[in-house]
Amino acid sequence: MKIIVDWLKDYIDLDVPMSCLVEDLDRIGLMVSGKSENEYGTILEIEPPPNRPDVLGHLGVARELAAIHGLSLKGNNGTLTEADVPVDHLIDVQIWDDEMCPRYCAVVIRDVEVEPSPEWLQVRLRALGLNPVNNVVDVTQYVLFATAQPLHAFDFDRISGSKIIVRKAKKGEKIRILEGGELVLAPDCLVIADDEKPTALAGVIGGQDASITGITRNVMIESAIFHPVPIRTALRKFGIQTEAAFRFERGVDVSFAPKAASIAASLLTQMGGAAAKGMIDIYPKPVKKRTVVLRRHRIKELLATDVKEEFIEKTLARLGFELSVRQQGGWQVSVPTYRVDIEREVDLIEEVARFHGYDKIPSTLPPMSGLEPAFSPQRCLLEHMRRSLFHSGFDEVVNGAFSSEERESPNHPKQKVIEILNPISARSSVLKTTVLNGLLENAEWNLNRGAQGISLFEIGKVHFWEDDQAKELLSLGLVISGLQGIQNWQVRPERADFFHLKGVCEDILFHLRYEPVSFLKRDHSRYEKDFCLSVLVKGEEIGTLGMLNQSLCESFSLREEIWGAELNLTALLAKQPQPFNLEPVVKYPSVIRDVSLLGSENIDF
Amino acid sequence: MHEIKTKIEGLRRKFDEDGFNAKTLEDLQELRNLYLSRSKGYIQELFDDLKALSPEEKPEAGKKLNQLKAHINRSLRKLHQKLNTPPVPGSVVDLTLPGKRTYWGAPHPLRIFREEIECVFLRMGFSIEDGPEIENDYYNFEALNFPPLHPSRDTWGVFHITDDLLLRTHTSPVHIRIMEKKRPPIRIITPGRVFRKETPDSTHTPAFFQLEGLVVDYGITFAHLKGTLEYFLKALFHEKSQYRLRPGFSPFTEPSVAFDLRCPTCGGEQNDCRFCRGGGWIDILAAGMVDPQVFKNVSIDPEKYSGFAFGLNVDRIAMVTYGVLDARTFYENDLRFLRQFLSK
Repeated sequence: MKIIVDWLKDYIDLDVPMSCLVEDLDRIGLMVSGKSENEYGTILEIEPPPNRPDVLGHLGVARELAAIHGLSLKGNNGTLTEADVPVDHLIDVQIWDDEMCPRYCAVVIRDVEVEPSPEWLQVRLRALGLNPVNNVVDVTQYVLFATAQPLHAFDFDRISGSKIIVRKAKKGEKIRILEGGELVLAPDCLVIADDEKPTALAGVIGGQDASITGITRNVMIESAIFHPVPIRTALRKFGIQTEAAFRFERGVDVSFAPKAASIAASLLTQMGGAAAKGMIDIYPKPVKKRTVVLRRHRIKELLATDVKEEFIEKTLARLGFELSVRQQGGWQVSVPTYRVDIEREVDLIEEVARFHGYDKIPSTLPPMSGLEPAFSPQRCLLEHMRRSLFHSGFDEVVNGAFSSEERESPNHPKQKVIEILNPISARSSVLKTTVLNGLLENAEWNLNRGAQGISLFEIGKVHFWEDDQAKELLSLGLVISGLQGIQNWQVRPERADFFHLKGVCEDILFHLRYEPVSFLKRDHSRYEKDFCLSVLVKGEEIGTLGMLNQSLCESFSLREEIWGAELNLTALLAKQPQPFNLEPVVKYPSVIRDVSLLGSENIDF
Repeated sequence: MHEIKTKIEGLRRKFDEDGFNAKTLEDLQELRNLYLSRSKGYIQELFDDLKALSPEEKPEAGKKLNQLKAHINRSLRKLHQKLNTPPVPGSVVDLTLPGKRTYWGAPHPLRIFREEIECVFLRMGFSIEDGPEIENDYYNFEALNFPPLHPSRDTWGVFHITDDLLLRTHTSPVHIRIMEKKRPPIRIITPGRVFRKETPDSTHTPAFFQLEGLVVDYGITFAHLKGTLEYFLKALFHEKSQYRLRPGFSPFTEPSVAFDLRCPTCGGEQNDCRFCRGGGWIDILAAGMVDPQVFKNVSIDPEKYSGFAFGLNVDRIAMVTYGVLDARTFYENDLRFLRQFLSK
C-alpha cells in the first residue's frame, strides 16, 4: 500500500528523518518494500500483514508511528453545513441481512456541483497513482485511503423509490457495473438495491444505474460495514478486485463508519453542497468491545524479558487500547474495534514485543534435557546411497514435480495418474508417476549441449491413485548413455552398457547391506523387449532395470541407447538391511585355486 | 643393378649403427653432413651412381634410395627429439603428463544446502521428519489456524487435487502430524518439497524446497527462538554475516518474526543489486511462537507448554549464497552448472 509521508502529517506532528521513518516502520512490522520521491514528496510502499486492516489507511499508519514516538493523534473535526431537511425524510434504509451487513450509515448532500476536485485533493490522489474523476468520487477515494473505510457515492435522484435495501441477490438478477459489463448474480451475493433493482454489489463495486454523472445534483454517500464472506464470494465468482473489497475482506472498523460518512459530508459541503440534517445509521446489534486479560507473568514467560509496566500501559494506550489494572499483576484490556487482529492475550503480548523491540529480547539456546538422540536410520541409508552413486560417477539432478498427462503411465493397471484440478499449463497438469521421464529430459538437454555421455540419478517422490487413495513413493531413478568416465592420454572412455548399470544397482544394494539380491527377466512397457530385469531384494520386487524403450526415448528426441533403472525406495528402506558383522581376518595368506565346470550352453549365468 | 642394391642395404645398416652410437646433438649434426650433404654425402654419391644404370633399372633403384633417404631423415628427427629432452633420473616417462582422474558424480546444489542446514540443526538436537506432499485442507490450513474463507489463505496460490486434497503449500502440516502423535519435548525439522501456484519466473517455481522446524517444551521463550535461529544463521553464513529481526505475520505463530540477512551479493551497497533490489536486506527466515490455537488443535495445553516454529526457503538460500539469479536454473539440470558443485 502506498503511503504519502506528507499525508501522515495530517494526523501526527512527525519530525523524524526519512531513514528513521523507514526503520521505524520495518521495526514494527509494516515492512517498507519501496520508496520513491516525486513532485508529491516521499511515497513509501508498505506491506502490512493480512490481519491488519486497520493500517490500510494513513490514519492507521499514523497511529502506529504515534505509539513509537509518544505522540498524540491530532483531532480532525470538519465543519458541516447542514440544511433543515432531516435525512431520514429523504431516504429509507433497510438491512435485510444484518449478519452480512452489521452497520449501514449514509448521508445525503444536496445541490452538489459535480466538477473537478480542488487542487489539494487531486494532488493527493495523483500521488497515490490514481486519476481524479470528479469531486464526489474523489472524496470517497480520499476517505478510503485516509481512514481505510470504503465509501460509495450514489446519485440520490436515481435511487428508485428513495429506498436502500441491503439484501441477498435474487437468482439470475443482473447488474451493470461501473467498469462496464454485466454481472449475473446469485443468492450468495450481497447487493445494495433500491425498490426495483440492485444498484451496487455490496462492498465490491457500484452499478451504473445510480452512479455519479456530470448532471448529478444530489448525492448519497454510503459508509457501511460488510461481512468478509459475501465479499470473497463475489471476488472469486467475478474475478474482480477493488480497493474497497480488499479492505472489507480483511475487516473494517465497525465503529468508524459514521465518522467516515461525516468526513465525506464535511468535505462535500466545503465544495458547495448542503448536507441534509443528521445521518442514517442502522446498527441493529452494536458490537461490544472485546476485553482481554493481559498477565504480567505471561509476558515474561513468553518474551523472557522484563518490560516496564509503564511502557506497556503507555504503548497500548497510544494504540487505542483501554487498560484497567487487575488484581494479581495484570490488566483488563479493552480492545478498540479497529483491531480485529487482537483476540487473545498472546496477541497483546505481540503488541508489547513489537514496540519493545525484538532486538532487545535476549538470545539463549533451549535446554536439551528430555530429548531423544536425533537419529534417522532412513536418512543415513539415503546419504549412504548418494555417496555410493557419486563414487560410481552419477551426477545428481532435481526435477520438477509435474508432468503432462500423455507422458505419465502408472506401473500397474490398478494405479491411476493424479490430476491437478487447476494446473498452470497442460504440460504440468499431473503429478509424476516415475522419475525416469525427468531424467530423460535431462539426458536430452545435456546430450544436445555437447555432453559425450551422461550418468544421472534422481531421488524424488512420485504419486498415483491406488484404490482411491493418493499414494506417494520415494523413488530412485538412474539413466546412463554414451561415453562414461574421463578420457585421458592412456585410456579411452568406455561406452555405457547394460552391465554397467546393473553393476551400479548391485553396488548400491551391496553398500547398503541389502541381501539377498536377485534379478529376474520380465517385460515392462518402459523397457525394450527382452532387455528388462526386475530387481528383487529378499524375494520382493523393488525395481526394474534395462534398456529404455526406443519409442519412449524418441518421444524425448533421444536417438541414443539409454539404459535406465528405477527403484522403489519406500519399499526398499522399509526392509531391514543385514546387520554389519565384522569377520576376523584369517592369519594365513590367501590361496587361489582353479576350478573348471562343464555345463550346457543354454544355462543362464 | 644388384651391386647398387647391396650398396643401399649396406648404407642403411651403417646408418642404423651410427645412429645408435650418436650421443650428443653434435654427433647428430656430423651424421647429417656425412649422409645427407648435397655435395659429398653418401646418399648423393649413390644418386650419382644411378646415372650409370639402364632406364629400366633406374626407377626401382631410385625408389629404394629415396626410401633410405626418408628413413635417415626420420631417424635423425627422432634422435634429435630424444637428445633434446632433459633426461629424467631413473625414468624414461614424462611425469608432467596429466594424472588419471576419476569421474565422480556431483551433488545437486539444492541437496547440498538441505544437507548443510540439516547438519546445523542435527547438532542442536533436532530430528528430521517427513510427511506427505499431498495433504488435506485440515492439515495444510485449518489445524494451522487459517480460518476458512480468510485472506491469509490467499498468501499462496494452491494446487487442488480434489475438494479436500491439495498439494501442501508448506511443510507445517508435518508439525501437526508429529504433535498429534508425540508429546513434548519436540524438536524437529521438516525438509521437503512444497507447491505454490505461481507463474514461473526468475524468483518463482511452482514447486520448491522448504525446511521448517518446531520446538515444543516447558518454558520455551522468544529468547530460545532468537538463540536457535541466530546460531543457525551464524553456522550457515559465518560469524561475519549481519542480520536483523522484524515483526512478521503467520497465522500459526504469535508473536511472529522475520529474519533479514544483509545482502551477501552487494552488502547493501548497490542500489541496482539484483538480489536485494537495493533494499540491502534479504528475507531469509520466518518464525514465531506457536499460536495457542494450534496447540489446542492438537490437544497440547498452551498454558503448560510453549514453543516456536520457523521456516526457510532452501532454493532461495542457495540462490543468495551462490549468486544464482534465476531459480529455474536449479531444475534445468545442465551438467555444466551441476558439475561445478563437485568441489562443494
